Amino acid sequence: MNRRARRRLYGVGRYVLLCLWLVVVIFPLFWSVMTSFKPPYQWFTWPPTWIPDPFTLNNYRVAWFGELLDTRYIASANVQTVFPALVNSVFIAGTSTMLSVVLGMLLAYGVSRYGILSERTLFRLLMLRMIPPIVVAVPVVLYYSTIGLLDSYPGLIIIYVVTTLPYSVWMIKSFIDEIPIEIEQAAELLGASRARTIGDIVFPLVRSGVVATFLFILILTWSEYLMALTLSSTNISTLPVALSKYEGSTEGRLYGWQQALAVGVTVPLIVIGWAIHRHLVRGFSFGMLRR
Amino acid sequence: MARRQGRRFKWFILPVVTVLILFLLVPIIFFQIFFSLHQWTAYIGEWWQAEFVGLEIFADVLGDARFYWALVRSLIFAGASTVLCLVIGFMLAYLMREPFRGRGFFYLLFITPMLVVPLAIGYNYEMLLVQKGPFNQLLSWITGQEIQVSWFAEAVPAFLSIIFIEVWNWTPFVFILMLAGLSGMPKEPIEAARVLGASPLQIFFQIQLPLLRPVIVLALILRFLEALGEYPKVWSLTRGGPGSYTETMPVYLYITSWEHFNISKGAAVSYLVLLIVAAIVYLCIRILLREKRALETLYRPSA
Repeated sequence: MNRRARRRLYGVGRYVLLCLWLVVVIFPLFWSVMTSFKPPYQWFTWPPTWIPDPFTLNNYRVAWFGELLDTRYIASANVQTVFPALVNSVFIAGTSTMLSVVLGMLLAYGVSRYGILSERTLFRLLMLRMIPPIVVAVPVVLYYSTIGLLDSYPGLIIIYVVTTLPYSVWMIKSFIDEIPIEIEQAAELLGASRARTIGDIVFPLVRSGVVATFLFILILTWSEYLMALTLSSTNISTLPVALSKYEGSTEGRLYGWQQALAVGVTVPLIVIGWAIHRHLVRGFSFGMLRR
Repeated sequence: MARRQGRRFKWFILPVVTVLILFLLVPIIFFQIFFSLHQWTAYIGEWWQAEFVGLEIFADVLGDARFYWALVRSLIFAGASTVLCLVIGFMLAYLMREPFRGRGFFYLLFITPMLVVPLAIGYNYEMLLVQKGPFNQLLSWITGQEIQVSWFAEAVPAFLSIIFIEVWNWTPFVFILMLAGLSGMPKEPIEAARVLGASPLQIFFQIQLPLLRPVIVLALILRFLEALGEYPKVWSLTRGGPGSYTETMPVYLYITSWEHFNISKGAAVSYLVLLIVAAIVYLCIRILLREKRALETLYRPSA
């Protein structure tokens, strides 16, 4: 076999293998989206219904707006709108991400330019992230119930800030490290104040990085479930918690409604993830790898 | 000048340190120890009236076979899923290391699973894997015979299914790390080896793999530690069942503390797990610190 034929074979083989994995990736997503459009009598059938017939938006109307539809098929349904949960999710994820990024920025700048913490110490900070959240859940719940932070916004927000801080510090630091320090020194030589240097020189240069960090951490806080479940009871239930409410009903699970909610919760994350796909490596590897 | 101002910048860390001490160290050190030494459940009344029982609760946990099984299961679960993620992720990244038509398309779709809300993945797979469900139908089509595995009724299929969703969810993580490692790899050594007549296999095993080692170690460690703490997917898929065959450590902890409301036992278990995991994390951090230096010299961004 000559070289050309071998290259061609490699090209075809590559497509075959990649498409194989593509099927594995797409299949569950496809099923989830299709189920969200199925009328109740097609949620579980044998053989499985692949394409909903007819396509219906009822599941979305039930799950998101709390309209009482399809009562012919589901008798004892207690549906509620998830808008409170949506508002909670937006507020909690947004605020905690913002705080995490701001604190991360301060710390990252201090470390990168002034060495206020050694790299080694900062690395230890990663331990926070690596300890399974469930391990600290019990003490945190007890602590919160004592000081009255259980089932409150600040409680959940603080936990999210603490658990995402390692990501934001390391990610932003990797962006700041890329700016040559000479630029700042030049600005100071020309008489710019520290605040001016940071505001007019450094910040514009890292702005896109900070936005990427913000969006990356938003992905983490938006989909967090365990803490949201254990630290909340009624006041501050977030979307993932609302999602888990669809199990354990008497008629088996309300698959279509659940998937309508799941798709709605997930789609923004996929959009965000695709938008910052170049920075995902940096985020997940704590800035140690970049593309 | 920079140094003098640097002293002022020390205050940058003050808010962070305060938050950490107040909300992480206090609960862990004080509350965890208090509750693991005092027998308390929600029915007794105020927690400070709980009865002091010394190390009884720890003895109870250490005599509980379920605890050890959960630990073993967690390690197997994390180990197996990490290795599988690594193998698949590496293969995909290796195939995609050079530009080709459709690379961006594959890339975007391949990273999608890790963007999906974990809880939703669990629920979705529960639908897919029911005995008369799409997954078995698909298997039947592929193999050409009737296959009806009841994935949640027996130990081995249930355990395989939780490993599988972990792999489905997090292969993208390994994939993007490996792809970054492979495409950031210096070209010169490979060219030199080729000129000197090395075979592709030799190049792979003696140059590319060693150069990639820090990235592989990084991916392995981060993935393993995350998998140890994996909770939402396992919970929403199997709830630890059938029996307790898929009860990993986080699920065991959750059931003890919030299903049985045995807060004291939960605190004691948390404490033990915390010690074990902290030892593992400490080891990993040491390895990572070493590999990080290798990463920085190897993959210095060429600006």
